[in-house]
Amino acid sequence: MSETRLKILQYITGIGLFFLVGTHLIVSHLSGGEPTTWESIAERASSSFWLAFYVLVLIFGLYHGLHGLRTIIIESIPRLPAKVVDWTLVTAGIAIFGYAAYIPISAF
Amino acid sequence: MEVKATGSQSRHLPNRLGIKGWAWAGRYTIERYLYTLHRLTGLGLLLYITLHLAMNGFRLGGVESWEDLMSVFGMSGFKVGEYLVAVAFIFHALNGGRLMLQHLGYTLGKPKPPVYPYVDSMRRRRPIVWVMLALIVALAIYVLVAFVI
Repeated sequence: MSETRLKILQYITGIGLFFLVGTHLIVSHLSGGEPTTWESIAERASSSFWLAFYVLVLIFGLYHGLHGLRTIIIESIPRLPAKVVDWTLVTAGIAIFGYAAYIPISAF
Repeated sequence: MEVKATGSQSRHLPNRLGIKGWAWAGRYTIERYLYTLHRLTGLGLLLYITLHLAMNGFRLGGVESWEDLMSVFGMSGFKVGEYLVAVAFIFHALNGGRLMLQHLGYTLGKPKPPVYPYVDSMRRRRPIVWVMLALIVALAIYVLVAFVI
């Protein structure tokens, strides 16, 4: 994929994360009540809306974060071959996605 | 002497300053320091998300494992950390929006003839930066008052 398309995807995921992470921060971290009790997370875990929400946050977050990291690595360590950086980050991204998506899917 | 580009240098201009260039390479404008802060908050958020995902794994251990972990996170130090993450998110999101509009050319303004005293487009559009910073401070105070204190 061209650098321009990768960058446009970075913008799209950034805009998406603004709303998705904003919602997650308010609902699960900053709001009143007990959003992190076992009962509360079990209730969200049984909802297909929250399952889709978490998987979407994960996809957007991993792409945005790892593409940002790729930009910094390639710019800061220019001797590293770009393909090595790309494949390392893609492998790490798939592994993290598998682990992180398994948690809400297994609880659903 | 011709220097052959290696690795990613073949696709990008060489970065002669390295990470030191994030902090100093002469007279930087405020936008350049916002760029550095954007990267630092991005790396911080990436580190936080990695830890967050690792902590989520405690849910697989059942109710006892989860509640043991949550009792640690109830400490005041973690509340401060959570607030800093929220502020880093606010900064990264708003500055990212500004960068996006700038990269796509929407906030650069119309070109002007180079008449002395020269003022580049970045300085002409400086009010956008001040508005963004004011918004970040206002949101940081709002989150502090509404959700933390």
